[in-house]
Amino acid sequence: MAEKILDVKDLEIRYVTDEETVKAVNGISFTLEKGESIGLVGETGAGKTTTALGILRLVPDPPGEIVGGSIEFKGRQLLDLTEKEMRQIRGGQISMIFQDPMTSLNPVMTVGEQIAEVVLLHNKISKAEARKKAMEMLEQVGIPGERCDEYPHQFSGGMKQRVVIAIALACSPELLIADEPTTALDVTIQAQVLELMRKLKQEYNTSLILITHDLGVVAKICDKVAVVYAGEVIESGTLKDIYTDKRHPYTIGLFDSLPDIENDSESLKVIQGMVPDPSNLPDGCKFHPRCPHATEACKTGVMPSIQVSETHMVRCNRFSAEV
Amino acid sequence: MKKSVTEKKHTMLGEIWRRFKKNRQAVIGLIVLILFILIAVFAPVVAPYGYDDQDASRAMMRPCTDYPFGTDNLGRDVMSRLIYGSRYSLSIGFLAVGISVITGGFLGIIAAYYPKLDNIIMRTMDLFMAIPQMLLAMCIVSALGPNLFNLMLAVGLSSTPKFARVVRASVLSTREQEFVEAARAIGASNTRIILRHIIPNSMAPLIVQATLAMAGAVISASALSFLGFGVAPPMPEWGAMLSAGRKYIRQAPYLTVIPGLAIMAIVYALNVVGDGLRDCLDPRLKK
Repeated sequence: MAEKILDVKDLEIRYVTDEETVKAVNGISFTLEKGESIGLVGETGAGKTTTALGILRLVPDPPGEIVGGSIEFKGRQLLDLTEKEMRQIRGGQISMIFQDPMTSLNPVMTVGEQIAEVVLLHNKISKAEARKKAMEMLEQVGIPGERCDEYPHQFSGGMKQRVVIAIALACSPELLIADEPTTALDVTIQAQVLELMRKLKQEYNTSLILITHDLGVVAKICDKVAVVYAGEVIESGTLKDIYTDKRHPYTIGLFDSLPDIENDSESLKVIQGMVPDPSNLPDGCKFHPRCPHATEACKTGVMPSIQVSETHMVRCNRFSAEV
Repeated sequence: MKKSVTEKKHTMLGEIWRRFKKNRQAVIGLIVLILFILIAVFAPVVAPYGYDDQDASRAMMRPCTDYPFGTDNLGRDVMSRLIYGSRYSLSIGFLAVGISVITGGFLGIIAAYYPKLDNIIMRTMDLFMAIPQMLLAMCIVSALGPNLFNLMLAVGLSSTPKFARVVRASVLSTREQEFVEAARAIGASNTRIILRHIIPNSMAPLIVQATLAMAGAVISASALSFLGFGVAPPMPEWGAMLSAGRKYIRQAPYLTVIPGLAIMAIVYALNVVGDGLRDCLDPRLKK
């Protein structure tokens, strides 16, 4: 019944400079259905943002290049489109919310103009109509419409992120990519913004890719989770699969490192070691140098993708025997 | 609730003006500048005589009540000539800088936005920077022939490289801002991003550079006229007046001193206005 809207397969993105080649994304695959939302979770530098930029084909080139894989959006291969066709899609059918609302608004344009800009770019309507639409959008995100002639510096951080959301949703896109939309906000505002995103997502029936390292945020909004490590999806499944039946040692470590309010422990639990340098990734399982269960077999070859259940995938040697 | 929203409304320009006002020197400079502009615009009304009214009977008169700044060797009123001359000096200042803003701005934006062209454009600019500006201007005027327009063109083109550098540096930093990426993510084209997002956000250093360069342009134009490359007689350009008075500097020093003071006044005014603008446009000084 649900229609598949996005199908990312074996996406590979590299940053090539004179000194080194940084393998930022190494074969990420996931699919998304209409109205569904997926959370991409992982540490800083795992390649989450690069994946998002890759979907919009906004990876800065040079030095970035998409080396392989496919991105199918509603049956169209995005990697084969011309720049002009791509511009039609950006902001119209796929839009993106950036991490920092303080810098993602143009300081010399009024917020109304900025919302109207995206509307005018994708619809053939007059400026007055676009302005009306901008005011409507502001009301939608809980800002009085008459503030549309004000400049970004007159808004607070949370308000700015609302404006950014208004811009992203102004053309009723089918896919919304939110790159850590609440990281720059304080906790109370985070909750408001998340609530707003969830409400609007339902209203517009938009699919959502949420990039975050906050597992609580994922639990609140997403239907599916993909855990990303060193440019690979190492475990994916429904919210239930991951939160109650996590398999991969990295996912377990990630959840363990959440501070527990009930057990008053002295120090926080951490995953030993550091994220591997993406210009010099280890062979075999990328997590094996930090993994408490690593064996000789983990140090070479490609880790198998194991379907634990219909929806739950894990990429780890430990479970190959089970299936 | 609604009231406080409207009360808080103040535009960016209003904010800049509020900060500019605090700098008293800059305000004085601005008043002097406006005065000069008014005098230039209403020259025929303000000037007591025509700029080429000759009268041999009153040649070389010292400053007196009839002729506040005296008369020159042909009996022309120096004050009237000075007043008409402000038209040339000011328009050279504005138009020459206009030419450098347009050419330098265009090259700087292209160089910063398209990294592939960066080296070609900027190295060419470096090449021109190696030639002394005055020499370059003289070459351009002598190649094109001395007249008012070519003088402006020469002064303007010879300072193009400086503008290209300032604009390039400013655009390079603006280009990396997240809102530019956000603009790309809503499907804006390169042209649109440059015109709507990058240019308005990179203009502050250019405006400052332009006011400061205007002072330089007035001096360069005067110097070129002094050397005979500029405006032809009887046009009363200030530099040309200075040059003409040089022969009589012993008998009538006012013939050189007065146009010199006029040049100094306008250059001073432009400089302090430029400094004031730099201070109030610098976002780091925002309170």
